[in-house]
Amino acid sequence: MLYFPRSTLVLRVVYALMLMLLCCFSSAWAQQALSIDIYGPGQHQLNLVMAKPLHLEPGVPEPPEALILNNHLRSCLGFMPFLRLVSGSEVIGGDVLAGVTAKDIDFRRFRLDRVDLVLTSGWGGNAGLGPVELRVYETFEQRLILGKSYSGVTREELPEVAARFCADLMAALTGQGDFFRSTLAVVKTHGQNKEIWTASPLGRGLQQLTTLGGISMSPAWSRDGRSLAFTLINEGRHYLALLDRNSMEVRRIRLPGNSVISPAFHPGGDIVVSLDPDGRPDIYQLGKDLKIDRKLVQSWAIDISPSFDESGTKMVFVSSRLGNPHIFFMDMNTGDVRRVTYEGTYNTNPSLSPDGRMVVFSRQTNQGHRIFLNDLTTGRERQLTFGPRNDVSPAWAPDGFFVAFSSNRSGQYKIYLTTRHGDEPRMAPLGEGEFASPAWVRQQ
Amino acid sequence: MRGSWFVVLGLLLAMVLAFGAGCAKKPVESTPVGISADEAARQAEEARLREEARLREQQLAEEQLARERMEAERARLAQVGEEITANMIHFAFDSFELRPEARTTLQRKAELLKEHQEVKLLIEGHCDERGTSEYNLALGERRARAAYEFLVLLGVSPNRLQIVSYGKERPLDPASNETAWALNRRAQFKLLDM
Repeated sequence: MLYFPRSTLVLRVVYALMLMLLCCFSSAWAQQALSIDIYGPGQHQLNLVMAKPLHLEPGVPEPPEALILNNHLRSCLGFMPFLRLVSGSEVIGGDVLAGVTAKDIDFRRFRLDRVDLVLTSGWGGNAGLGPVELRVYETFEQRLILGKSYSGVTREELPEVAARFCADLMAALTGQGDFFRSTLAVVKTHGQNKEIWTASPLGRGLQQLTTLGGISMSPAWSRDGRSLAFTLINEGRHYLALLDRNSMEVRRIRLPGNSVISPAFHPGGDIVVSLDPDGRPDIYQLGKDLKIDRKLVQSWAIDISPSFDESGTKMVFVSSRLGNPHIFFMDMNTGDVRRVTYEGTYNTNPSLSPDGRMVVFSRQTNQGHRIFLNDLTTGRERQLTFGPRNDVSPAWAPDGFFVAFSSNRSGQYKIYLTTRHGDEPRMAPLGEGEFASPAWVRQQ
Repeated sequence: MRGSWFVVLGLLLAMVLAFGAGCAKKPVESTPVGISADEAARQAEEARLREEARLREQQLAEEQLARERMEAERARLAQVGEEITANMIHFAFDSFELRPEARTTLQRKAELLKEHQEVKLLIEGHCDERGTSEYNLALGERRARAAYEFLVLLGVSPNRLQIVSYGKERPLDPASNETAWALNRRAQFKLLDM
C-alpha cells in the first residue's frame, strides 16, 4: 500500500484540479478562438497572416500566379469583418515558412504576436498551373482548420478559387459560407433609363440582365433564383416584369390600376406587390396566373415594400397610415398588424431577416438616410451605417449576417456591404456606374 | 264658254308640242368630213388625257385642302394641347394635397378639356430626390391621382385621363437644393395618343 502524506495528497488533488481547469479553460479558449458566432452579440476578431506562397518542391520558385491568387484571397478575406489581416512583416521572423504544412511552421512565434490563423499556399507542378494547396492553421492547437487542393486551375479561374476557399473558410469558422456563394441583382443607371444587372457580392460574373429601355427598378428574386420580378416603367405605364433566368426572356404584365410598386416573392412562390386598383397603393398577393388573388394590406394611405422571412409567416412593410411612412409587421397566419418604428418621420425600405427576428430599414435623419436595425423581439434599435450622404435600400443576405445597401457616400450611388453588427461598410466592386436596390439570392 | 275651253286646250297642245320639239333637238354627232379615223383617235386620246389631267389637278387640290385642314387641326390641337399642358402643379414635401393654386390650374385645364373632347391627357406624378425610390413611386402616384380625381370631379371623363408615377426618376432640375426640390415635386401633363 502506498502512503502519501495528507498534504501531498491535497496538493496532488489541487494540481489535478488545476490541470483539469487549465485543460477546460484552454480548450474553451481554443474553441472560442476557432469558431466565430457571427449571430452573437459581441464580435471577436481573429488575426490572420497569409504566409508567402511556396512551391511544393523545395528550391523551385512559385509561379507568378501565386501572387495573383494571394491578392484575390486578401480581397475575399477582407469581406469577413471577423478577420483582421496581419501583415507578415508584423510577425517576428516574417511570413516566409519552410513549408506549407504544420511540421514546417513554428507556431510559437505566431502565437507570440497574437496571430490566431496562418494561411499557407503551396503550388505544385512544373509547367503551367499545377495544383495549388491552400491551408489554414489555428496557431494555439496547431490544428488544420481547412485544407483544399485545386487542380487544373487557369489564370482566369483564380478569383473563383479564392471565392470558393473563402466560402469554405467562412463556413469552417462560422458554420455559414453562403455570402461567397450568393448572387446580387442590382439596378444600374443608363442615362435616363435603368436596367437590371447581376454579379456576386465580390463583383464576379457581372452581367447585364435586361435591355428594356425605360426604368426598371426594385428587383426581387424568387427563392430558387430562377425568376426575377421588378417594376418596369415604360411608355407612360407601369408593368410587373418577370425575367426567366434560364431563357433570359422578360414578360411584361399589366395589372389593375396604374402603379406596380415593390414586388417581392413570398417564399411559397407567389408574387406580393403594391397595386392601386382602389385608388391608393395597397399590398396584394398574386396567384399563379399572375392575377390578383387577395389583398393583404390596405389603408387610406400608402402601403408598399413587403418583405418576408424564410418561412413566409412574417412580413414587414411600409405604411403611411399614420401620416408618415413607418415600418409595420404582419403575422401572415393571423393577419395581425403592429407598428415597428416609432422614431423619426420617414422610415422606408424594410428587409426582414431570414429568421424573421430583425428588420433593417432606412430612416431619414438630419444628416440623410441611414440604415437602422430593429430587433423585433425586444424593439431595440441600432444604427448600422453613418453615411455620409444617403444610405438606403438595405437587404439581408441569405446568411442573415451580411446586409447590402446602396449609398451615394462617394458622390455616386454604389452597393456597400455591412453586417448585422454594423461592421465598416465595404463597397461591392461592381465597376463604373451608378448602382442601387440590391437583392440577394443563394446560388443554386 | 265651250269656245274658250278649246282655245285653252289648243294653247296647251301647242306648248307641249313646242317643248317636245325642243327636247328632241339633240346635237348630232358625226365625223367631220375630211378627218381620218387615226386623227379622230388621236383627238379622242388628247381629250382623254386632258380629262385625266383635270381630274388629277382636282385630286391634288383636294389633297392639298385636306392636308391644310389637317395641319390647321393639328396646329389647333397643338395650341389646345399647349394650353392644357402648359402649367404643372406643385406639392409640399411628402404630400399629395392639392394647394389652392393647383386647384385653380386644374380648373382651367378642366374647362379646356371639356371644350376639346378629342384631347386625352397623361398625368405624371413626380417627387424630389430626398425620399426613397419605392415610397416616391407611391407618392408620385398619389400626386397624379389627386390631379386626376379633381379633374374627374370637375366633369372630365376618366376615360380621357391616364396616370403614371415616375417617383424621383425624372427630375426637372437635378440640383440638390430647396428650389430644385420644390420644382421637382410636381404633377405634369402630356397629351396622349390613345
